[in-house]
Amino acid sequence: MALLEAEQVVMRFGGVVALDNASVDIDIGEVTGLIGPNGAGKTTLFNVVTGLLPPTSGTVKFDGIDITRATVAKRSQMGIARTFQKLEAFNTLSAFDNVRVAVEKNHRAKWKHRRVGDVAHEMLGKVGLDEVADVTVGTLPTGSARLVELARALACRPRVLLLDEPSSGLNEDETSAIGELLLGLVADGDNELAVLLVEHDMSFVMGVCARIHVLDFGKIIAVGTPIEVQGDSAVRAAYLGGDEFRGAYVGVDE
Amino acid sequence: MILGLRRSVVAATLLATLGAVVLAVLTWKGSQVTSESFLVTTYIGLFLGALWAMYATGLVVVYTTTGVFNFAQGAIGVFSAFLYWELHVNRGWHSILALFVVVCLFAPALGVTLDAVIMRRLRTASLVVQLMVTVAIMVLLLSVVGDIWEADTPRRVPYLFGINNGIDLGPSQLPWHRLIVFAVAIAIAVSMRFLLRRTRIGTAMRAVVDNRELAALNGARPNVVSSTSWALGSMMGALGGILIAPELGLDPATLNNVVIIAFAAAAFGALRNLPMAVIGAMLIGLLRAHTGAWLDFGPDFRFAHLAVAPLILLFVVVALPQARLEVGRLAHHLRRHERYTKWWEGLFGCGVVILLAVVFSGGWLDFGIWDPGAWGSRELNSANEAMALALIGLSLVPLIGWAGQINFAPLAFAGFGAFVYLKFAGDSGNGYWILLVGLLCAPLGALVALPAARLRGLYLALMTMAFAQAMSLIFFPHPWVMPIIGTGRQFPHIELFGVTFDDRRGFFLLMVCVFAIFVYGLVLLRRSRYGRRWMAINDSQAAAATLGVPVVWTKVVVYAVSASMAGIAGVFWATVSGNVDSVQGFDLLIGFNIVLLVAAAGVSIPMAGIFLIFIPLFKGFGLRLEDAGNVDFLVTLLDIMTTYGPGLMVLGMVFNPRGAIFEMGRGFSPILPWRRDARAEIAAENAQKREPEIGELGIDRPFTPEEVIAIDRRLGILDEVVPKEGYGTARS
Repeated sequence: MALLEAEQVVMRFGGVVALDNASVDIDIGEVTGLIGPNGAGKTTLFNVVTGLLPPTSGTVKFDGIDITRATVAKRSQMGIARTFQKLEAFNTLSAFDNVRVAVEKNHRAKWKHRRVGDVAHEMLGKVGLDEVADVTVGTLPTGSARLVELARALACRPRVLLLDEPSSGLNEDETSAIGELLLGLVADGDNELAVLLVEHDMSFVMGVCARIHVLDFGKIIAVGTPIEVQGDSAVRAAYLGGDEFRGAYVGVDE
Repeated sequence: MILGLRRSVVAATLLATLGAVVLAVLTWKGSQVTSESFLVTTYIGLFLGALWAMYATGLVVVYTTTGVFNFAQGAIGVFSAFLYWELHVNRGWHSILALFVVVCLFAPALGVTLDAVIMRRLRTASLVVQLMVTVAIMVLLLSVVGDIWEADTPRRVPYLFGINNGIDLGPSQLPWHRLIVFAVAIAIAVSMRFLLRRTRIGTAMRAVVDNRELAALNGARPNVVSSTSWALGSMMGALGGILIAPELGLDPATLNNVVIIAFAAAAFGALRNLPMAVIGAMLIGLLRAHTGAWLDFGPDFRFAHLAVAPLILLFVVVALPQARLEVGRLAHHLRRHERYTKWWEGLFGCGVVILLAVVFSGGWLDFGIWDPGAWGSRELNSANEAMALALIGLSLVPLIGWAGQINFAPLAFAGFGAFVYLKFAGDSGNGYWILLVGLLCAPLGALVALPAARLRGLYLALMTMAFAQAMSLIFFPHPWVMPIIGTGRQFPHIELFGVTFDDRRGFFLLMVCVFAIFVYGLVLLRRSRYGRRWMAINDSQAAAATLGVPVVWTKVVVYAVSASMAGIAGVFWATVSGNVDSVQGFDLLIGFNIVLLVAAAGVSIPMAGIFLIFIPLFKGFGLRLEDAGNVDFLVTLLDIMTTYGPGLMVLGMVFNPRGAIFEMGRGFSPILPWRRDARAEIAAENAQKREPEIGELGIDRPFTPEEVIAIDRRLGILDEVVPKEGYGTARS
């Protein structure tokens, strides 16, 4: 059974259908990719899964439990953590304090017997930000602020980690370091971790993902291994432009 | 969903109806309801509603098109009404000419000026800054009115076409004035609705607030649009002010308070729905008229029938659906460095404050114009007043400064604190009861915040205002609450550790010590996990929630802490005032001034409370200077500073949202050895401002972040790539 399942999710904003019966499932021990052109509904799906948006219809299940109506905080406590495409770091706090807020909230339940500061430092170390621990996040470059968000999400000790374009703002070396970090985290059986990754950097996606869901105009048009997805004709059409109006489309989540 | 309505709406409506019926049965006057008296009451209600609808329309138009909620709407009306009086009554102009000059020339000019100079710059500002600035404009406008037109002259604005001309309605008459008001209000609302929904400029106006950059790309001119909105908004304010003045009399405070009712009406339309706002205004008008006519709350609740607006606002707040947590609003790179006060800095600061207090109050130093001896009673009065205000101001630091939530009712909480203390320690003055005051005020703060905490921040601000008004109309005037009024009895002297603080100097030093304890407590609190969490929800509620922080509950806790501090401060405030005049002493406007001063000082910093000391201190100075003679100029200057200072300082927040104390710290950083962080920040900013040599750009290495900023700035796209709103741009 999949750890996280979004089933038949429909999300309408007025007349715009951002998600149209989209179903996604992710498993423990894997990095699952979610790709699609701009405006396909990837971020909207993240918002539905984390509870920031109530779906028009459809269900979200975590570990077999229906969490469609659960609050954002409740889902976080159950083990769903995320980063944001548009930065949502705590800009007035230092990188260390950003992570500390997350550790403190999950301290008793998830980080037994460990000091808050130690955990926070460990998380910052994992994403390679030890040196800027005391720097206010608002003054950090965008790429580093993204890594702060990742460290903060890891500090929640998640079982499902949703990453929204973690590589934007990072250079190639940093991106591959993130890839290795993710693969290491899911490979470690103790974590029981499942990762859902939204990414535009195709080589990164193809490199780390075991399975990929392809979203286009709110619909899942293909699911499969990187090789299967690359060979799919519907996916090629979606990316290369199936019809002439394609270029004029302005996405809902951009 | 029941009949297509949300469950919360149905529940709130049922509850409100039930409450209204019970209240009506309990307080029924017993006078006979005839169809005539019923009709007359109804038309008075509709007329009142129409006046408030005019204000509310202006509020909604400005809010839907610029995203700024204009607290100064009522003050614009006050100013216009006085101007109209000056032209029409004092100078003898014809009423139509005066009306035209004020409404069609002065008001739009004021609106455009406000927009061009101030409001346009608030687009990306935080809610705290936006609200503070409009409140500052309100206070400034009222101060100007007070200075130009002295209050002691009785003034009356006549009805248009006189009160005695109109349509005969059998037992009574419907004057033209009221008929015109009603027609004009409806006409304005309908035409505004048409303008916003059906015309090109209206579409542009609504588009600009959703996404300014995108709208501009599609040919809308954002500056023209926002100036138009402000011009229209202030015209409606002006018209409302002039038309309501004959009914209420030309008193700045009374006229300004009208706006609170308009706020409730606007909230009834969820701040954006014009027809619902008008309906809300009419509903409030009808309720007010009919409660006044048929219900009698008795002498103990003699002002209760005026509290319709706060109750409507409470109803709206309960009925509204939970707000979505907004994503994608954060502007990265716009925030600068924040620093914690170190624990020893806090101790040091508190020590200095106590030392200075001892030295000054003891008069150990000679400052020329000050007596070499001890402070006289007048200076001590000033100083005591200042310290009590500063204590109240401190209660706002965690709330406004850290969590970014607004509270316009610090004095209402202070008053409640004073009430609790009076009930328990009224005879003995036993100071240990102050701890109980702190404990009892916390749940009150939580209770006020609870219904609105799940909504957007603006509703919390409005809710606290409604709470303040409800308290001063229902709670404080009750003889059981403040029995001291009129009896000449003094508020008890506080007794602590076996010492009765009955002389002013001792009491002053006691308050200074409490101030130091508050400040130091805040320093520690900010360094704690709670302080961090509060600052986190200020930065991004969505992110905090995804980390497991229960956002609504966290806000409620901050309000509780703040209310608790305000309550304790209230005990001292009441003791300083001695005879507590409830309505005056816990007035909403004074509350505004406290909030403004703290905000201007830099509300995230505990020491900001000390800024509140300036106003009474200036007053004390002024008195002393008057005695000295021959310094009229200085006296006037101090007077101007005390009247206009807070408002003007808050306007500075437009350019420097972090407040005066912060900038002072930065300014002094070169000579403060431990402020290495501030020096580094200044150096970094200077480096950012440096124009890079074109030759060194990106030739053999990637761009540094500073260079990216410099390039962005040169291309004019800095800040502009960050849209104001997130998904769906819901602003419920």
